[in-house]
Amino acid sequence: MKNYSQEILGLLSLKLAWRNLFRNTRRTSLTCVLISCSLVALILVDGLVLGMVDVMVGSITHTLAGEAQINKKGFRDSLESELYLADPEDIIARLKKDQAVTGQAPRVIVGGMVTSTYNTSGGLIYGVDAVSELGISKIKDAIYAGEYLSGKDREILLGRPMAELLEVKTGDRIVISAAEVGTSNITQELFRVSGLFAFGPAELDENIVFINLHQAQKILNMPGKVHQIALRFKDPEDAKNPDLPIFQALNRGEVEALGWLDLEPSFGALIAMTNYSTAIVATILFLLASLGVINSMFMSIYERIYEFGVVKAIGTSSMQIIQLVLFEALLLALISCALGLVFGYLSGSYFQENGIPMGRVELSGILLDGNIHTRMAAYQFITFPVYVILLTVVAAIYPAVFASRIVPTRALQRVL
Amino acid sequence: MTKLIETKDLCRSFGSDETLVVALDHVSVTIEEGEFTAIIGPSGSGKTTLLHLIGGLDEPSSGSVTLSGINIAKMPGRQVSDFRRDHIGFIFQAYNLIPVLSAEENIEYVMLLQGVSARERRRRVKEMLKITGLEGLGKRRPAQLSGGQQQRVAVARAMASSPDTILADEPTANLDSKTGISLLEVMRDLNQTRGMTFVFSTHDEKIMERATRLIHLHDGAIDKDERK
Repeated sequence: MKNYSQEILGLLSLKLAWRNLFRNTRRTSLTCVLISCSLVALILVDGLVLGMVDVMVGSITHTLAGEAQINKKGFRDSLESELYLADPEDIIARLKKDQAVTGQAPRVIVGGMVTSTYNTSGGLIYGVDAVSELGISKIKDAIYAGEYLSGKDREILLGRPMAELLEVKTGDRIVISAAEVGTSNITQELFRVSGLFAFGPAELDENIVFINLHQAQKILNMPGKVHQIALRFKDPEDAKNPDLPIFQALNRGEVEALGWLDLEPSFGALIAMTNYSTAIVATILFLLASLGVINSMFMSIYERIYEFGVVKAIGTSSMQIIQLVLFEALLLALISCALGLVFGYLSGSYFQENGIPMGRVELSGILLDGNIHTRMAAYQFITFPVYVILLTVVAAIYPAVFASRIVPTRALQRVL
Repeated sequence: MTKLIETKDLCRSFGSDETLVVALDHVSVTIEEGEFTAIIGPSGSGKTTLLHLIGGLDEPSSGSVTLSGINIAKMPGRQVSDFRRDHIGFIFQAYNLIPVLSAEENIEYVMLLQGVSARERRRRVKEMLKITGLEGLGKRRPAQLSGGQQQRVAVARAMASSPDTILADEPTANLDSKTGISLLEVMRDLNQTRGMTFVFSTHDEKIMERATRLIHLHDGAIDKDERK
């Protein structure tokens, strides 16, 4: 019987709360707009951050590095040419059998001198397999003059700034000098510029040249050997999983197989920072919205002080008044979230489709160029509204307690 | 007749030292069941304070208030709130009703707090609307009712919870003469036919004329207590 009464009273409070919301439609509307806008802003900011992270991850993994790499231990730090993978054929055979892996590109990487008729520059010489690279990197897409590698001898691709430094164009001659593996004898080879590329990040365009893999192996006297195998996965998320079978199988002895997050730990920190930035924005937005809610609830309570005095006088308990005010906040939050979700979805869809123009920004060697397309995720439409509802109700606790403490005798004197 | 309300040496003062105001000064009064009592006196004489103390809305500085044999003067907050709900009906000068509820819902409100069954609530609401002459107006919200009709709803609400007594703080103050008399007739009728005890604070001559007892307050003390 008591529970039944409590339910009835709960329904009464809910009915009162709902009707009270529409006593001052302007104030309720403005508060709703404030809460809705906070939710929309949060959805968009988070979508933008996700979009930026996508671009950054794409920039790292799809430009050149790959989603994961297999190297001999120590090679990444020293780029010592002696630290090559001794049995790349076995590794590649294993990778080809792995369902999770969609592409692999063997590479020879060595430091050397790049010389033209007019100038000389130091650089990293990448010996790449033209066909394999199509599934891993964007070298072909980055070509803006001349042709991509076809596998023929003496082809070389230069970045725009290096070509400018060396004062060469496609078809011009270039001499590469490097130390042979094993003997450290200096070897030289003549190339003709077959193409010019521009990835965007200066770090890549200024320092790297690409030649065909077989020719790099020949110059460096390391037939059949490679320094690195770059990978692409069917599911990009696999690259972040150190327990992936292929990582487990290959991370033995002298070989290391690492995903991009381990290859670029500073980028992991950058992603963590973007998450913090979203949390900070969310905190500020919620704080502002909460203050708006508190203000709105107090205005509503002050307008009804006499009424609260009367209902307390006729037997309404303090808890019932707290319940009433919290229900008002809850309903306000629900209406606001419904609006916020609709507008959040519409605006999120628009910016996901059309992007937000951000200009050209290079951040830690990562190029953000043009529009950033926001990314919508299910949690933005589930978790964020739950936070908004909880925070709105929490923000209303103070006004609710204030209302519950109204003393009928004082309240009744207030108007009369 | 049975003693319903009894105050003994009831004192209430506000402020302290230089700002001390004595609103009630050792007021002892007994009101019996079925009385139609008016507490009268000039402004500031302590009428409303006495009514609030009898109704458990305020705590006395000293003395006791006994209602239906229970001393409510020192009752804790939640308990006195429940006591008011179950034993006292209140009618205030104005703005008695919850504006977002209809007349019916306002009458039903206290019964909902009491946990009265839906069937019984409906029955009593219908009965109260009839007694107070508000048949057909139950669905209207307070803003759609005249001042007199709103006060009738307040009377109906106060009655519907079957209280021991109804305390009315200047119920006709905001009503015109004709409406005030009409409301008084309703209350007097309820008093006579149902034996409901009414205690008013008032300046209104019309109430004074109809009251069976007049308690005159002056500067917080009983000046005169006359029964008709």
